Amino acid sequence: MDRQAALEEIQDVVRDVLGDDDIVLTEAMAAEEVDGWDSMAHVNIIIAIEKRFGIQLKATDLAQLRVEGAKLSALVDLVTTAG
Amino acid sequence: MDQGDVERFIADPRDPGLLKWARTQVKEGDPKAVAAALKRIVSPDLDYTAANSLARLFDQLRAKADLGERKTRIAFFASYTAYPIVGLLKLYLAAGGVSADVYLPDYGTWRQELMDPGSDFHAEPAQFTIVSTLWNDVARLPSVADDHAASDALIEAEIAEWAGYWQASQPDGGQLIQDNFIAPPRRPLGNLDGRLFGGMTRHANRLNEALQDAAPSFVTIHDVASLAAEQGRRRWCDPRFFYEAKLPCAPEMIPVYAYSLAQTVLAQLGVTHKCLVLDLDNTLWGGVIGDDGLNGIAIGQGDARAEAHLAFQHYALRLKARGILLAVCSKNTDAIAREVFEKHEGMAIRLPDIACFVTNWDDKATNLRRIATELNIGLNSLVFVDDNPAERSIIRQLVPEVAVPELPEDAAGYIEAVDRMRYFETPSINNEDLQRTSMMQAEAARKAVVSSSGADLDGFLRSLDLVATVGPITADTLDRTVQLIGRSNQFNVTTRRYSSADLLTKLGDPKWITLTVSLRDRFGDNGLISVILAHVDESESTLAIDTWLMSCRVLKRGVEDAVLNHLVTLAQARGLTALRGEYIPTEKNDLVRALFASLGFAQESCDADGRTTWCLALDPAPEPRRHMIEVVEK
Repeated sequence: MDRQAALEEIQDVVRDVLGDDDIVLTEAMAAEEVDGWDSMAHVNIIIAIEKRFGIQLKATDLAQLRVEGAKLSALVDLVTTAG
Repeated sequence: MDQGDVERFIADPRDPGLLKWARTQVKEGDPKAVAAALKRIVSPDLDYTAANSLARLFDQLRAKADLGERKTRIAFFASYTAYPIVGLLKLYLAAGGVSADVYLPDYGTWRQELMDPGSDFHAEPAQFTIVSTLWNDVARLPSVADDHAASDALIEAEIAEWAGYWQASQPDGGQLIQDNFIAPPRRPLGNLDGRLFGGMTRHANRLNEALQDAAPSFVTIHDVASLAAEQGRRRWCDPRFFYEAKLPCAPEMIPVYAYSLAQTVLAQLGVTHKCLVLDLDNTLWGGVIGDDGLNGIAIGQGDARAEAHLAFQHYALRLKARGILLAVCSKNTDAIAREVFEKHEGMAIRLPDIACFVTNWDDKATNLRRIATELNIGLNSLVFVDDNPAERSIIRQLVPEVAVPELPEDAAGYIEAVDRMRYFETPSINNEDLQRTSMMQAEAARKAVVSSSGADLDGFLRSLDLVATVGPITADTLDRTVQLIGRSNQFNVTTRRYSSADLLTKLGDPKWITLTVSLRDRFGDNGLISVILAHVDESESTLAIDTWLMSCRVLKRGVEDAVLNHLVTLAQARGLTALRGEYIPTEKNDLVRALFASLGFAQESCDADGRTTWCLALDPAPEPRRHMIEVVEK
């Protein structure tokens, strides 16, 4: 899957989880810039992304995504490379 | 040998290329080197089929060379089909450098082998004796009402029996490895299954603890109960989400956990169910009693389908034992349905177990209301179990208060389908619970089943999208037609039985009209469900209905009406002026005594045996019968 398609899938998941169809994601954004993407929502978003993409992220990757300022490009990296 | 291949299979023992590679190596490689490589690859993650093949390959290696293995002899005792496990046991022992000679006595004879000093087991001493168990091996199970003392007595007697086997194994059996016990994966008492001494969960725990206490040093307890539970716990736990987010369990398990907690709270608030309402055909037993007869239905031991239904009956009885009422709601002739409970040896549930028995030809929505009224409980106390998706759908539409679990097609899944919903969670079980069925029966005996019908059947039938395919008997439908003619008893106006040869004769005779009907709906295909044979009487210009039968599975769908319209058309096309019907009463076909009357026929005669004849004039043409079926001619 190419990065743009992956980002759109992620955007779709995030819209579902946060219940906001107006959310638009770019790879350069950080999670905390997205309205409603707080630490509680983060877990649910990760769970939903694992299910949507049929993948299992490693514990270290999960921690990586939570680092302050981590860009969504890191998440796109993970879903496009994970088995 | 390529070390890269070995590493690849160690990393993924389920690699589909493993077997082909191993076969080549065994054929061409140095036996000792190949054995050494296979030993490293063999792991518990092997695919079951691949593991069996590897076990055979190891035997081939042994035949080629001495692998320098240690030797041992094991006696393997189990009450089940053990050879698949024995084969893999030998494989994993081989991986540990041990070649095992395993003695496996004939199915079902291990206790005799142990207890008889002259048996083959005692003739050749073993280094190990493995006693592998099933829950069925537990000979003494508690009843729901059992208290601490009663439970102690059961466990003491149970342990004494197993200790007897242990002693009998000595000295010929060597070290004895004894499985502990895995309770069935269901909890008919809900949370109380682990609390009450009569609960199977509690009993299994107590028994396993007593087994550990009782085992002498020559007995090793193999903790298969924990092994099985671990498989579930692994699904339960997802440490990644604990480390990352301090979630208590895998996200997928959170709904399961929350649901269970909610049922526990709801039970405290009195929101629970009191009555399990059971359909009969293909729910309580396999097959259709009205078509298949007492000897044709599947219930009891000795057949996979029959055993699955029997297990479901036992589950229902366990619910009854703790105070859940059992009711029957089935489209059947009452006497025929009751006969199964009275006479069939394979049945576990008997009539006295049923608090309210409603079998008739009314729609089930009406009958569920009757059951609730008669038992004096709310509709929201009922759980309705029916294998037929159409019946489930109509109940969900017309009586939404009733809980209707989805059932899998395979009866082996019925118990889990009901149990997992935790319908019957309860804060406590008391004496009243334990005696409820007999109390309710007395109450029910005072009331007659009230008849009323308020359900919107037309709407339901329309929603089914019924499609009937009608046409003459063909080579493809002949076998099923003969089967129906031979079996149908209830919806069968004359109960005339014909062989294939009889039907072939009629097919070649232009005076005979044959008709079969197949019915499908949006839930699936019911197959060929109705047969009509009629012959033209030219002297009287009539079409006489010789045989008219239908499977009871599709009653009240309007098939009869569609059939009549079709017969009228066929008769008119031949220029005939009347249809003639005949009813010959039997013990079982009371259902269709008034069939012709209900279809607008006029009675012509009635003889001393109750045999009646009927006539429907076609000139003027009768009003077509109203029905909700799309008819397709074949």
